[in-house]
Amino acid sequence: MTRATRLGRIGHAATAWALVLAMMLPFFWMVLGSFKTTRDFLAFPPVWLFRPTLDNYAQVFADSSFLRYVFNSTIVAVGATGIGLLLGIPAAYALARWRRTAMGVVLLAARMAPGIAFLIPIFVACLALHLVGGYTSLIASHLIFTLPLAVWMMVGFIEAVPIEIEQAALIDGCSVLSALVRIVVPLTGQGIAATAILAFIASWNNFLFALVLSNDATKTLPVAVLSYIGYNSIQWGSLMAAASVITLPVLALALCVQRYIVRGLVSGAVTG
Amino acid sequence: MVAFARTVAKPAPRRWLSRRDWTPDLLLAPALVAIAAVMGFPLLYLVYMSVHKWSLIGDAAPVFVGAGNFTALVEDDRFLQSLFRTLYFTAAGLATNLPAGLGIALLLNREFFGRNVLRALLIFPIVATPVAMGLVWVVMLDPSLGVVRYMFGLVGVVNPPLWLSDTDWVIPTLVLVDAWMWTPMVALICSAGLAALPVEPFEAATVDGASAWQRFRYLTLPLLMPMLLVATMLRLMDLLKVIDIIYVMTGGGPGQASETINLYNYLVALSYDKIGYGAAVALVLFILVLLTTLGLVRLRRAA
Repeated sequence: MTRATRLGRIGHAATAWALVLAMMLPFFWMVLGSFKTTRDFLAFPPVWLFRPTLDNYAQVFADSSFLRYVFNSTIVAVGATGIGLLLGIPAAYALARWRRTAMGVVLLAARMAPGIAFLIPIFVACLALHLVGGYTSLIASHLIFTLPLAVWMMVGFIEAVPIEIEQAALIDGCSVLSALVRIVVPLTGQGIAATAILAFIASWNNFLFALVLSNDATKTLPVAVLSYIGYNSIQWGSLMAAASVITLPVLALALCVQRYIVRGLVSGAVTG
Repeated sequence: MVAFARTVAKPAPRRWLSRRDWTPDLLLAPALVAIAAVMGFPLLYLVYMSVHKWSLIGDAAPVFVGAGNFTALVEDDRFLQSLFRTLYFTAAGLATNLPAGLGIALLLNREFFGRNVLRALLIFPIVATPVAMGLVWVVMLDPSLGVVRYMFGLVGVVNPPLWLSDTDWVIPTLVLVDAWMWTPMVALICSAGLAALPVEPFEAATVDGASAWQRFRYLTLPLLMPMLLVATMLRLMDLLKVIDIIYVMTGGGPGQASETINLYNYLVALSYDKIGYGAAVALVLFILVLLTTLGLVRLRRAA
């Protein structure tokens, strides 16, 4: 290898590293800021080295309602993911093995419709049914994206399972449903886990539906975090600590399903 | 006797059923019922609302107004401005995301130390809670204390724009924050496409003396076009629908300088209590997304 090409290779790697690390700045700044005192936060030029404090986290968690919002977000995300998978897996099985295609149109419509187009009628209907502010309406509205996501992802995973095993089971007298439960579900376990994580993240991150359909007792974290930013004051440290608490679990979960992220994104969730 | 009667009675319905295997339909049924409830019904209800004058405050019953809400839209300056703003935001978004995403994908296409680590890191902006990251950006972009101002200072720009507080800069700034979140997605999609490209044409082109630019222009780009179109389609849909980050970062301000159609829609329907009018705006936005996306699909077929 010549000197020039070696230099070129190092330059290439250095460019890529510099670029991607620069893109990580907001995460770095968020975590750094969550350990700053208000005084360090208000310093300009910004301080990079300082005596870290845990006060911000203490303050966020001392507020008992924050734990309630963590609980709300978890309940809604687990509910929307669980129901999405429960309804989505049999549907995906039908699509994968019997090649019904009508579902494709539905998935595309879900992807294209703006969230607000679902939200206005759902809000009015929930108001009449006294469901606004309850978990039911939140979970139901999140099904709009978790269910299509589950169907889309699971069709791919189920198609990868060789059909011969099920055929043998059916010939031996196994019912379709028990073939699904006893053969397909165990064989696609990894895919189900990946789908569940992606659906969970989509629900955890959703803002618009919770903004309208929740109340003070049931609001989820993305709505709750807004309270740290007021009209004339920002609680800088608490905001950064709360943002870290909301975001870091999602990043950790996403790393577990790295391989499937692109696939999930292409199916997409309602993003506004 | 009972067993016999059963075997005699059974064949008739079975023969009728055997014309069509209902198993897949039964498997699909629960999902379809749920979809009808959370998606089908709301969309039909939305259409119904859009032809009514409808208010939630007080107990006035909805009044049928026909196409009145839609004709009113044409004269609604705030709506038209939000529409143009959305198109501006979308065009600027596509113009930044696609080249930048393709560039990052090309950068990651060569083997080097830590490439997989960088690929993993690229996932973070995509999956991180948008509302939380939007607020982190608000802090970073603060015109007096923000780290962004500090960094511009380091390279000699003493008076950088006021970012989110400047009516001319607010949309470009929001485009950049959106690009930070979603360019990695474009990069990962293109990256998957690049990894699947055949090797032979590139070897042949190199042997024939094609320059790196020629190989990119006449081989990589056309071969990657299907993936680029997928990325374009996804970005197009989400850029037209943008609301989350704008809601939390500017609330549409300063003034109405960053009020996109989706945000205007939210305000009209749920803050100003004009449900019917808001439903009409939502339908127009839906149709806008539908038509542009389908237009892109046709373009893809033609290509």
